[in-house]
Amino acid sequence: MNKPSNIVLLIEDEPKIRRFLRAGFEINGFAVLEAENAADGLKAATFNSPDLIILDLALPDLHGAEVLERLRSWSNVPIIILSVVSSEDEKVRLLQAGADDYVVKPFGMAELLARSEAALRRYYKTATENPIVLAGPLSIDLVARTVSLNMNQIRLTRKEYRLLHILATHIGLVVTHDQLLKEIWSGNQRDNIQYLRILVRKLRQKIETDPNYPRLLVTESGVGYRLQTRLENCSAD
Amino acid sequence: MPQLMSLGCVGLVTAVLFSFDNAIAVSLVPIAYLIPVIVAATRWGIGPATLASIASVGAADFFFLAPLYSFRIDDPQEAIDLLLFLVVALASSSLASRLRRETDMLRQREKEIQSLYEFSRLLAACFTVSDLISAIQKYLSRTLGQQVAFFAARADDRFEPPESGSMPQVVQERIISMTAKIGVSSCAIVDEATQNVWLLGAIFSETAVHGLVAVNIGGGSREAMETKTDRIEAVLEEVSLTLQRLDIEKAMEDARLHLQAQLLRDAFHGTLSHELCTPLAAIRGSASVLASMPVIREDGRIRALVEAISDEAAELDGFIQNLLNASRVTAGGVNPHLKWTDPRDIVNAAISRRAKRLAAHKVRIEFADDLPLVNVDSGLVEEACGQLLENAAKYSPSGSTISVRACVEQGRAILSISDQGVGITPDEQQQLGRRSFRSQRHQATIPGSGLGFWIASTFVKANGGTIDISSRGQGQGTTASITLPGSPMNPSDLTALTDE
Repeated sequence: MNKPSNIVLLIEDEPKIRRFLRAGFEINGFAVLEAENAADGLKAATFNSPDLIILDLALPDLHGAEVLERLRSWSNVPIIILSVVSSEDEKVRLLQAGADDYVVKPFGMAELLARSEAALRRYYKTATENPIVLAGPLSIDLVARTVSLNMNQIRLTRKEYRLLHILATHIGLVVTHDQLLKEIWSGNQRDNIQYLRILVRKLRQKIETDPNYPRLLVTESGVGYRLQTRLENCSAD
Repeated sequence: MPQLMSLGCVGLVTAVLFSFDNAIAVSLVPIAYLIPVIVAATRWGIGPATLASIASVGAADFFFLAPLYSFRIDDPQEAIDLLLFLVVALASSSLASRLRRETDMLRQREKEIQSLYEFSRLLAACFTVSDLISAIQKYLSRTLGQQVAFFAARADDRFEPPESGSMPQVVQERIISMTAKIGVSSCAIVDEATQNVWLLGAIFSETAVHGLVAVNIGGGSREAMETKTDRIEAVLEEVSLTLQRLDIEKAMEDARLHLQAQLLRDAFHGTLSHELCTPLAAIRGSASVLASMPVIREDGRIRALVEAISDEAAELDGFIQNLLNASRVTAGGVNPHLKWTDPRDIVNAAISRRAKRLAAHKVRIEFADDLPLVNVDSGLVEEACGQLLENAAKYSPSGSTISVRACVEQGRAILSISDQGVGITPDEQQQLGRRSFRSQRHQATIPGSGLGFWIASTFVKANGGTIDISSRGQGQGTTASITLPGSPMNPSDLTALTDE
């Protein structure tokens, strides 16, 4: 990281949620700014140039989706959404509108920190591009286009590699089905999610220790897939 | 009586004429005797008027024409005069009586119109079917002056006899034998004992028959009865129009109530998800921050307490989600967003979501290699799976094995969850699908709301699947299986398309 400490802006109207978010981020070395409504949040995002924004959906003055849209009209800053509704459609919509990731309330701090760090890493990588992405025992060389598992190179088909490449460039973050379909297939095959499901099944057979219980390429139910940075139980807390 | 009165009139005129001089009287005779004739015609009709005409001719001849006090007439001129008088008297009495009849009819018509108008005003003020019925009763008995009885339709399509009111046995029996279905038409019954005719008319709206009106229209000429029948039918028609209006109003009222219920439910949703979830999120989040602090991580006792807070918050969250799901189902709000999904992902997500609940059990998972994709709302099916897993953990001893299998059978994917627990009796199995059902056996020992299985089966059904529970009996373990229609496309066909 090229800054002494990352500034995180919390746009959240509930003081009790802000309180623990502040504590959680400060313990992990972030500087924290707070805004209790959308207007203050947009102002703070403009004048204090935060490195990361945590955006609640239920704000008193403006819906979070609207705030997201306004922020995205001029800024690429990583944005993580806090949502209470576990509606898959809404998550997909927000991701398509430019959110980097989301967590559903109630969530654990560890989960939010992992998402935040992944988003920050992706945001700053453009400057200090490291061509090798590590995901647990898996390493993906984006320049040489090679993949190795536990130091042994593995062979992937073109589509399998394409899929892994997209997930690797978003490592730790969720990528939606639509995005994957559009980047891997062309024509009317783009609309058939069945291809994607089968492709994921096949890729898992090559990179997962046990393809039946994936721990690297995990499913985000109804939304998309996520490549984990580390091997761990995916019910993160 | 009218006959006597008309004769009296003639007598009176005769007496008056008698007091004059005979010559004057004779000249007045033709005019003066017209008076009683006209009076009789306008008062009492054509019969008494005819009688008065004849009596007048007789009296004039007897008292005033020569020879006096004899009915004989000598002068032919006088005979012609008398004859002429008789013709004029008869003609004018017929005219006068017709005039009277028409006036009477007009008056009657006016009265009827007046009362019908009052009736429709009464109808306009009716807001319930029972208002309407009492209005009909009042109207018919007042205007027709007849016996009226109302038979309300019952839920079993029979007519309920009224509490009071006397009516012939024949009529009662006939009505009780009728069924209250749309298409009941009106009919007439003759009561043999009194020769009275009873008219039965159904009162119905577009959707239902509300009752039957029985009116005693008496005896009398065919014509009179037809008039009465027409009037009663006009009334019933008016009534059924009003009923239609009431139906529309009722539908509007129902729609309004439905909307209100929906708003309430939405408010309940909002309250639950905001007022309960926000504090819970704060508790869970704060606990997770505490758990990550080095000071706490080092002290085992404090760490255990913090973990307990987290776990309990997670459990509470589970309950709230259940309530939310249940109110979603009740609201008819399960509309699945179907997407092709790998059943493995669903099962894995359900297991990892319930990891804490399953911690005390050994979970064995088996997936068939050729599992088809399923077109479902993965969130809903995952929730259903999770509920079944939770039940398996709840109703089987800790340390026992829960096996989860996903296999394919005739193109369908079957997800089954088996435990080694208390099992299910055939009797319990029958009641399983009911909301809030909890078996007597476990009510005291195992906590629960009875919502879990109900939510699971509703969610699976919404995804076009079925859910089956089987058990070899009490204490023999339970197997719950979810069957989902699989993709017609073979995984290996799809593989060909992805192999590049």
